[in-house]
Amino acid sequence: MATTRKLDCKNLHGYLKTLPWHVLDKLYSHPATCLAVFRQLPDLSKHYVMRMLFIEQHVSQSVVNLWVNSKYQDEQKQAVTALTDLRVWHEETMTGGLQGWKMNQTFRKNMKIALLGGGNPWTSGGEQLAPDKHSKDIPFLDKYALERWECVLHFMVGSTEGTEGVSRDIIDVLLHAGLMKSDSLEPLPSITPEGFQFLLMETGSQVWYFVLQYLETVEQRGMDLIECLSFLFQLSFSTLGKDYSTEGMTENQLKFLQHLREFGLVYQRKRKSNRYYPTLLAINLASGLSGLSSDSQRSGYLVVETNYRVYAYTDSPLQVALLALFCEMLYRFPTMSIGNLTRTSIRDALARGITAEQMVNFLRSHVHPMMLKNNPVIPPAITDQIRLWELERNRFKFTDGVLYSQFLSQTDFELLRDYAKDLGVCVWDSPEKRVMVVTRFGHDDVKKFWKRNKPSNS
Amino acid sequence: MFDTKERKAKKRQKVELEAAEEYDDFEEESPQDVKSAVPESATRQVDDSAKEDEFGAKDYRTTLDLKNDHNSRPLFVAPNGHIFLESFSPVYKHAHDFLIAISEPVCRPQFVHEYKLTAYSLYAAVSVGLETNDIIEYLRRLCKTSLPNGIEEFIKLCTLSYGKVKLVLKHNKYYVESMHPEVIQQLLKDPVIQECRFRLSAEESEGGIVEGQVSNKSALQLNKPANGNPDQPGTSADGTTDGAEQPTVPSDIFDYYDKMDREDEDETEDLKTVSFEVKAEHIETMQKRCIELEFPLLAEYDFKNDTINPDINIDLKPSTVLRPYQEKSLRKMFGNGRARSGVIVLPCGAGKTLVGVTAACTVRKRCLVLATSGVSVEQWRSQFKMWSTADDSIICRFTSDAKDKPIGCSICISTYSMLAHSMKRSWEAERVMEWMQSQEWGIMLLDEVQTIPAKMFRRVLTIVNAHTKLGLTATLVREDDKIADLNFLIGPKLYEANWMELQNKGYIARVQCAEVWCPMNPEFYREYLNTKSMKKLLLAVNNPNKFRNCQFLIKYHERRNDKIIVFSDNVFALKSYAIKLNKPYLYGPTSQGERMQVLQNFVHNPKVNTIFVSKVADTSFDLPEANVLIQISAHGGSRRQEAQRMGRILRAKKGAIAEEYNAFFYTLVSQDTLEVHYSLKRQRFLVNQGYSYKVITKLAGMETVN
Repeated sequence: MATTRKLDCKNLHGYLKTLPWHVLDKLYSHPATCLAVFRQLPDLSKHYVMRMLFIEQHVSQSVVNLWVNSKYQDEQKQAVTALTDLRVWHEETMTGGLQGWKMNQTFRKNMKIALLGGGNPWTSGGEQLAPDKHSKDIPFLDKYALERWECVLHFMVGSTEGTEGVSRDIIDVLLHAGLMKSDSLEPLPSITPEGFQFLLMETGSQVWYFVLQYLETVEQRGMDLIECLSFLFQLSFSTLGKDYSTEGMTENQLKFLQHLREFGLVYQRKRKSNRYYPTLLAINLASGLSGLSSDSQRSGYLVVETNYRVYAYTDSPLQVALLALFCEMLYRFPTMSIGNLTRTSIRDALARGITAEQMVNFLRSHVHPMMLKNNPVIPPAITDQIRLWELERNRFKFTDGVLYSQFLSQTDFELLRDYAKDLGVCVWDSPEKRVMVVTRFGHDDVKKFWKRNKPSNS
Repeated sequence: MFDTKERKAKKRQKVELEAAEEYDDFEEESPQDVKSAVPESATRQVDDSAKEDEFGAKDYRTTLDLKNDHNSRPLFVAPNGHIFLESFSPVYKHAHDFLIAISEPVCRPQFVHEYKLTAYSLYAAVSVGLETNDIIEYLRRLCKTSLPNGIEEFIKLCTLSYGKVKLVLKHNKYYVESMHPEVIQQLLKDPVIQECRFRLSAEESEGGIVEGQVSNKSALQLNKPANGNPDQPGTSADGTTDGAEQPTVPSDIFDYYDKMDREDEDETEDLKTVSFEVKAEHIETMQKRCIELEFPLLAEYDFKNDTINPDINIDLKPSTVLRPYQEKSLRKMFGNGRARSGVIVLPCGAGKTLVGVTAACTVRKRCLVLATSGVSVEQWRSQFKMWSTADDSIICRFTSDAKDKPIGCSICISTYSMLAHSMKRSWEAERVMEWMQSQEWGIMLLDEVQTIPAKMFRRVLTIVNAHTKLGLTATLVREDDKIADLNFLIGPKLYEANWMELQNKGYIARVQCAEVWCPMNPEFYREYLNTKSMKKLLLAVNNPNKFRNCQFLIKYHERRNDKIIVFSDNVFALKSYAIKLNKPYLYGPTSQGERMQVLQNFVHNPKVNTIFVSKVADTSFDLPEANVLIQISAHGGSRRQEAQRMGRILRAKKGAIAEEYNAFFYTLVSQDTLEVHYSLKRQRFLVNQGYSYKVITKLAGMETVN
């Protein structure tokens, strides 16, 4: 059984932490980045930043520690680490030998701009755009974003219905992220266990994870990570339903824009069009994963019955394809599909690396509003059973041990076995075959005993 | 990555496996036997050649057109005859009554119910008076999509010849009656039927067809509850107010519902019929021939006009009031002023006996009751006395133990085995049998009709000459699928209740089902793996961990003042458990007297709170007090037995609303043994009725007790 690693979906903070400090410093040279980072900080850290923003010198560490009541030392430590990790401040020895905190100058400067105004406009292209002839409203953008995104997911599921196919760039990202792997025999790559976990995540988390993976490949494509990141941060401060101009964007950024367009993060009517609309996916991206996700807008569609039936009130092929990952589909009607949760279907899913918890969460987060009046929402018999099916795969216990075999006589065997048993280190023995297994821990003792008492040797 | 082929292969394999397993429960029967009793078309199935989608599901999206107002219609009808009903739809009630009449319920949990159209179910539909066109039209209106073509054809195919001709007994002469003169003409052209026809004189060849009328008025007279029946006067009025509040209901559904519903109301309408008389001695030949011609005869009994058989003087007591579903089921039986033969399906504990007693009181002719055991004979007798005015002077038991003298009695209660007994009988019993065979019985009540092997059943039917046969059962399932034969031996299914609805309304107990996992201990499991015979099961049942769990559960529930029944099919385990725990036990060899004594003690003696029983207590042991059931061993994967056993604790309990559950059904399963597999199979029926089994891997508090 392939061991599956749990998908590690870092938040913004976690991601930025991994960047080298010079990259961070460059990033901070744009006010949008500073504000975005500031928004993601723990409350206490935000407070520290505000206190120190206008103090143009070191602040002694002991002073900072005094700002917080001793009861809240844990929070205090977290706040300090967060700021250090993100290089918002760093440690420096003050005159007089005291340790002090010094705020990053680039950050300080641009944070001030972000808060107080001034500097260049954040969105590139200073001049106002003429009103768009093909102006798009918010529902259109939402629909567009979701469609594009589902296209990517569809490709991953390998479902052939309703897909238009995806570009090489997206495939590369998926391969790089380990969500899919290519097989030399198959023309198209196939999905990995991690990919399945990815599919069952919420849209918001999916987009974020995907973009992170994309950013990792940015430099290989000869694009500048900092430019891309700052553009993403800018996007996150744009307004939904408003159009922005591509004027003044660098070559790299334009290329990046085309990719974002493909995953549905921005809408651009034509490739060459000089205006684009950010979609909800982009705006939510950096503004807090914990917040709203686009899923919450769609009402659930699954009815889960106590007899393991699942009714999916949807005509989206993707939603059915997702359900089919762990559910045996029986019927497809217009607007409704019917499936059964069976031991086989769940075990197949488990074998592909989807965990019981993920399946249960998927069901729970997509239930039909009608089921919400039940408590618990999903019949406990079903959730229990899915978990039990997972548990039954993990019933073997492994004990490391050393095999003793080829005893010359039964008495030899019994002598050693009884000794091992007395010590309580004998895992298993078979007198017929004259073999026994001793725990790794007991091996030394038993070996010594055997050397001392080897009767047939003497 | 979704290998469709592989999936399909797996599916197919599974189907075959299940098909093979179905036979592990019940008895052998020669196929020729079946042929004669079942018309060929009854084995028909809906043709379904829908293509499959990428996940191996049947894909109907291209063949069915969605209606614009699909949200307000409650049904999806699949071309293979499966119907899905949304229980949250505003027209649920209407659709539900209709579907119960025309199809078999497959599963009825909380939200979406599944039904299946079968040849049998449609046969039952026409026999209670539904017309082909009405069925199709109403189904079309309820459906969210266009009705699949195959379904329409299937309904036509199955209903056109069924239910058209009836075998009516009136003025003690048998008539073949039909509302369709052309059918009668067609039958009369058949030489065999001509032989059977009774003629006044040989010259009379044409004509001789009697024209008559049949009333639509229900023959059922019931005591109404004092506050008046809310259902009766206002059916149509209710309907219209509903409609006003729920504008989403398409009006065509309502119009039709009123039309369909009318048969339930006491509205008199006379219908023209044509009939011809049949020679009494040729009835059997006639029935057989009609089945061959695909016009199975429905037996109806015009008991009001039966002047030859004497009326017996019984009525329901004035205090006896029927529950709505009991009344509904009887309405189906006495719908057209006569008595139809058929099967009524009610969960155990929902009052099947009262339905039987009411039927007997309505017909008011000589009545024969057949039960499965001596104990249940006693229970039928006391129920007759409880609900009706019948007393010991007219009720007689015909069993090997009872000393009643059944000859000449009005209500005779006996067991199937007593009647089907083919060995030598005592002189007295021989006389009784002769008398029984010579009688015309007005009504025969067949209790737990699904449990009887078909062979024995046929014997009974040839011995007893009854005008109406009413089968009563809780579970119309049998692992061998022979249940369908009952439709033609007794009659169609007249009514089937919804367990969950009865539970929610408090007519039956709320049962918490639980499967308790008992790990095998290493010594037992080693032996289990090394044994190849039936001993395997014995080792699984006697698993010490199972014993501990059983003991713990008994102690726990006795402390709560519950009454506990422990079931074990395995007699060795039954005895060893009972003796170790010092509890009374009942099994096959226990004498009738001792059985009654143990049961009396269990019901009345506060010191006897637990009894151990074998499968003799599966059916019809009526123990209203019991509310906990522990099953330590069972008969393979029998779904019927599981449902039947649960029935022992289903009778509604006092103080029913106080707790979420007021009855408990534990199955103790030894892990990693055959029991796991069987237990999964057994649960299927109840799971389809909407019950869910909680898996208990560890009993809380067990460690502290020991």
